[in-house]
Amino acid sequence: MKGSLAVVALDLKRLWQDRVRLISSLVQPLLYLFVLGSGLGANSTLGGPDYLRFIYPGVIGLTLLFTSVFSAILIVFDRQFGFLKAVLVAPLSRVGIAAAKVASGALQALVPALLLLLFAPLIGVHAGALGWLELIAAMTGAAVTFSALGVAVAARFNSTVVFPVIANAVLLPMFFVSGAMFPLTGTPRWLQRLAYFDPVAYAVDLMRGALLGQRYFPVWLSVIVLTAFVLGLGWAAARVFAAGEDA
Amino acid sequence: MVVEAAVAVEGLVRRYGEVEALAGIDLRVPGGALFALLGPNGAGKTTLFSILTTLRRPTSGRARVLGLDVVRERSALRRRIGVVFQEPALEQKLTVRDNLLLMAWLYGVGGRIARRRVEQVLDRLDLTAVAGRPAAKLSGGQKRRVELARALIPQPEVLFLDEATLGLDVDARRSFWVHIRQLAASGTTVFFTTHYMEEAEVAQRIAMIDRGRVVADGSPTALKARIGGGVIWLNTADDAGACDWLLARGLPAERAQHGVLLVDPAPAERLPGLLTELPFKVLRAEVHEPGLEDVFVKLTGRGLDNDAATGSESGVQVGWRP
Ligand SMILES: Nc1ncnc2c1ncn2[C@@H]1O[C@H](COP(=O)(O)OP(=O)(O)OP(=O)(O)O)[C@@H](O)[C@H]1O
Ligand SMILES: [Mg+2]
Repeated sequence: MKGSLAVVALDLKRLWQDRVRLISSLVQPLLYLFVLGSGLGANSTLGGPDYLRFIYPGVIGLTLLFTSVFSAILIVFDRQFGFLKAVLVAPLSRVGIAAAKVASGALQALVPALLLLLFAPLIGVHAGALGWLELIAAMTGAAVTFSALGVAVAARFNSTVVFPVIANAVLLPMFFVSGAMFPLTGTPRWLQRLAYFDPVAYAVDLMRGALLGQRYFPVWLSVIVLTAFVLGLGWAAARVFAAGEDA
Repeated sequence: MVVEAAVAVEGLVRRYGEVEALAGIDLRVPGGALFALLGPNGAGKTTLFSILTTLRRPTSGRARVLGLDVVRERSALRRRIGVVFQEPALEQKLTVRDNLLLMAWLYGVGGRIARRRVEQVLDRLDLTAVAGRPAAKLSGGQKRRVELARALIPQPEVLFLDEATLGLDVDARRSFWVHIRQLAASGTTVFFTTHYMEEAEVAQRIAMIDRGRVVADGSPTALKARIGGGVIWLNTADDAGACDWLLARGLPAERAQHGVLLVDPAPAERLPGLLTELPFKVLRAEVHEPGLEDVFVKLTGRGLDNDAATGSESGVQVGWRP
């Protein structure tokens, strides 16, 4: 346990040392929100302000998705040149290593996502205290899911060049299919079906439900699916860490 | 009572797909020894090191460290070993002290005990002066000392080092080995890999490894005694021809990458005769006491390094030009 905390502490210290990356990870979501959102909103049947409110949780999801998965790239680097080797020969359980990596990725993603909440008044999102709490809980669940995805994938890669390419190729479709930028209701059937396989869709849906009360999936289904994803991916990551250099 | 060896390896095989990196290794390292695994690039040193440090699995065969199986009992084993990797394993942006503290936490040691242990190790390795600097801003020699410090934080019973002084200059290497020798003297078993034979020389026991096999095993003196007498190195216009010519006269010549090696009970007396009789133009001739490299060449027909000269520590060079 103490060992796992050490792994998290290291990653957070690195995040602090890399504040520029933290701030720059806000640029993309703000562009989506205010530029793409205003443009699309003006032509949306929802109407501008409503459309912005609609995509707001989606943009938070975008931030969580990309920041947590890309924070996992450090694992690829660390395996070759960094502290990860020292971690692997230390007497930590491999599940503990995976859990620590997932937790630190989630925390790293939550920081910019929480900063996005400061823009809520500008967009005219008004939720009660309970709504905000529910949102933060949903954000945490989403962050842990995406981080587990990043860790499970990154743990398998040896190349810091290939990982971002693969990550983009997987993440963008996941984001598009999720219904973050448009309501899934009213989209073609194939797209709706696909969304059932997309963890981002459930995560965004939970966050939107918390803020706006609109839901596409039942809450219980989202919670079960996300939990299953986290456990499955976390287990896969632990397996990779257990394989050590043979991974 | 049977004293358990610090490291015991039996019939260890490791394949990477088609490549057989270890082709059946048998090895025993007594507790408290300073032990060298000596071999050229690609011999399988890192592979064996990774298996012993629980980072890779053997394809077949068994290995025990401190009596613990490296596969089945790896969690228990990890508490008791320290590891210095061939590649750096430091957090470059963190200070030296923070790197070590983090290491203590990884082993479940925290608070004041961790801090005290870190200061002790810093002091022991003469690193106190640079403790506040980020690891990235150290010299090569200091970095390797910090890696060593990192490995010592868990207070290991066996310390594993993989080419720990690669790329260091002679001074830095020497100071690094002073620390290693102190450790060994205080009872820690040290298992290190190297392809520098001067480094292997400090070990009490050496195993020479080539293409995944142990070709010789013993103390440096015992290994060199295998050669007996001394060594003559020849470079001629036609090394292959010279080697054949010597063999035809019943002399135990060996053709190596960078010349012909001839082991002789009295090389200094033999050489002048050879130089006049040899029907090839001699470019260089050298007589010296046998070194580990000579043993390696004798056993494998190849040198440890492509660019290394002969392995003499007390070489008498007979510069000779016809
Ligand atoms: N991950 C791997 N995949 C495939 N082959 C490998 C792998 N690692 C090592 N090998 C091969 O196994 C053999 C032994 O390699 P190893 O790294 O153990 O040698 P080494 O003695 O440590 O060499 P060096 O002195 O260069 O570090 C070599 O032929 C190498 O090419
Ligand atoms: Mg190696």
